[in-house]
Amino acid sequence: MSFRYPVVMPKMSMTMETGELIDYHVKVGDRVSSGDVLFEVMTDKIDMEVESPADGVVEQLIGEVGATVDIGKPVLILLTDTEVMAFDFGGEPAQLPPAPAIVEALPVIEAVVAVPQISVPEVTAPVAVAPVIVSHTYKAVPKARVAAAETGIDLRTIVPTGPDRTIMYSDVINRHPTEEQLKRQAANRALIARGIEMTQNIPQASFTRSVTVSDSGLPHLMSAWARVLRSRPELNVSGKDGSLNPQVGVATIIESKYGSALPVYKDPDLLDMKTLSELVSTTSTAARHGKVPLAMLSGATTTVFDLRSYQMTSTTPRLFPHQVTALTIGESSGGAIAVSLTIDLRYCDFYDGAGALDLLVKTL
Amino acid sequence: MSTDNRMLTMAEALREAMGIAMDERPEVFILGEDIGIYGGAFGVTGDLYHRFSPERVIDTPISELGIVGAAVGAALSGMRPIVEIQFSDFTAQAMDQIANQAAKIHFMLGGALHVPLVLRTPQGSGTGAAAQHSQNLETWFANVPGLKVVVPSNPADAKGLLLSAIDDPNPVIFLEHKLLYKIPGRDPVPEGAIRIPLGVSKVVREGKDLTLVATGIMVNKSFEVAEKLAAEGISITLIDPRTISPLDMNPIFESVEKTGRLLVVQEGPSHGGFINEVIARVSESSSFGSLIAPIKRLAGMNIPIPYAPQLEKAAVPQIEDIEVAARELVKSWR
Repeated sequence: MSFRYPVVMPKMSMTMETGELIDYHVKVGDRVSSGDVLFEVMTDKIDMEVESPADGVVEQLIGEVGATVDIGKPVLILLTDTEVMAFDFGGEPAQLPPAPAIVEALPVIEAVVAVPQISVPEVTAPVAVAPVIVSHTYKAVPKARVAAAETGIDLRTIVPTGPDRTIMYSDVINRHPTEEQLKRQAANRALIARGIEMTQNIPQASFTRSVTVSDSGLPHLMSAWARVLRSRPELNVSGKDGSLNPQVGVATIIESKYGSALPVYKDPDLLDMKTLSELVSTTSTAARHGKVPLAMLSGATTTVFDLRSYQMTSTTPRLFPHQVTALTIGESSGGAIAVSLTIDLRYCDFYDGAGALDLLVKTL
Repeated sequence: MSTDNRMLTMAEALREAMGIAMDERPEVFILGEDIGIYGGAFGVTGDLYHRFSPERVIDTPISELGIVGAAVGAALSGMRPIVEIQFSDFTAQAMDQIANQAAKIHFMLGGALHVPLVLRTPQGSGTGAAAQHSQNLETWFANVPGLKVVVPSNPADAKGLLLSAIDDPNPVIFLEHKLLYKIPGRDPVPEGAIRIPLGVSKVVREGKDLTLVATGIMVNKSFEVAEKLAAEGISITLIDPRTISPLDMNPIFESVEKTGRLLVVQEGPSHGGFINEVIARVSESSSFGSLIAPIKRLAGMNIPIPYAPQLEKAAVPQIEDIEVAARELVKSWR
């Protein structure tokens, strides 16, 4: 699967609205690696080199050298094979159908946030990219504002049904997903389902253990699991060809209004716990709002599902493509947690799996 | 007569409170125009002149400034005067004694002296008495630090609050709505010297859809509306602050957090009205975040009360106005 990513004019300061494209460092057809400089940008405050967020091939140069580009507008299209299981939803200003015609003659459509914006990979469903802005100037009752702030809803995307076009509390709590949100959810589901389908026929084995831990927070569990994989490189191979992965990438699943998002934490065991906890917290919040930096959407070598907020005890985790392990964390009795591990039997055997789980429990 | 069915009018309840206070303390006395032999323009003092003595129920000349000035002097020298001003509109004549003397002496003398004075006076429209005999002036007094301001809405509260006002070491302005004098309350008036503390709001009834704050006669009107709308499935919390200075906001905050909707009703003009203080305090508080509807107020028009009965009625909120506003708030905002 190849995906087209627009690399956009980044927002480099709070006040920045446009940037000047100084020069490209690549040309169409160039193969680039993650971190290679793609183009250079100048603002009134700063000059900056914009790096490639993933490995790929430069498909198109959109911006003209010397031109002023609005933040969030695409500068270059990158064709990438990077394994992406779910995508960033921030979106760029897109050609969307106008908002539901409940509100007349209001300006429609503008990206809500201009920070890293990545278009959606082309999968089965056509995917639109920006939340529909109903109105830039809106009125909302205080409790609607509180509810929106708490749940990360942009009030500009809410259709007001109150007197004088005021957004009521009920408008926020009963809001229906927009057509475009539904499309994205469907696309996202399709993407994940396709990934699981790809691993369907791979021989797998699953193991479950119940364990009492002092720190049952996700960052701690993720870090421990990464440590286990680092010490057992045979479990950190690529499911594609058995080659050793250069890093441990732990994907987690976050529910968002667009479906599941899967941010990837690279080498979480090498970060100190405070840094990792902060990273998990900010990334989870961003993911819930449908925004994950592209850099955190690839490089997964394993996946951790945390089912505890649903009071699940365990499920048999399924492997994602090219990953040979998957882990679920569930609730267990007496404050313990249930840890389930699935392995790809082509690259490891039952003893490897059982041993890894045992090591994880000991590490915890 | 058993306590359970003592359905007194507000005039009777006030008279009872004054009688109790005069029995309790020899320093309590009443002074005002036509309050003695005549029994008061609205009959509130009634037979107190005969029960006590001309020295303790004093008919005065027509001089409000003189009456209040004499009372301030008496209060400073250890007496507990109860002044009756025939119409609250006439307090304008006595305003220097009220605002500059009674309210401030305690503070300007470093707390050395107290002015335990109660000024009772009828207010409000609805009697066809025109612009100079119909005003609601609670905000005049509430805007003077050093005065306490009581606005009773029913006989039982009037009795308990007046007893507390007489006990209070500070000047208390006690504003009685004329139309309430002759009406029995919904609740019986307890026998004996039962006091109701100043500065405690009363939750008259509880509901979940709307917080309705009203004072004086508007409490009665609002209560009728609440009962009527209950049949439509709209449940209303009705709060009577009873004293508007000091003002007990806590039950209002608590209720607004529950209902998310606030309707505030007073008879006096809206401009600079007491209800605006309630709204301001809700707006400043954390309860603000609970609002699911704009705050609504109903108040008198910003005009002198007209003499023509139809216009007099139209100038202040009526039951129908409260009903429409309450229903609208609940139905339109969800």
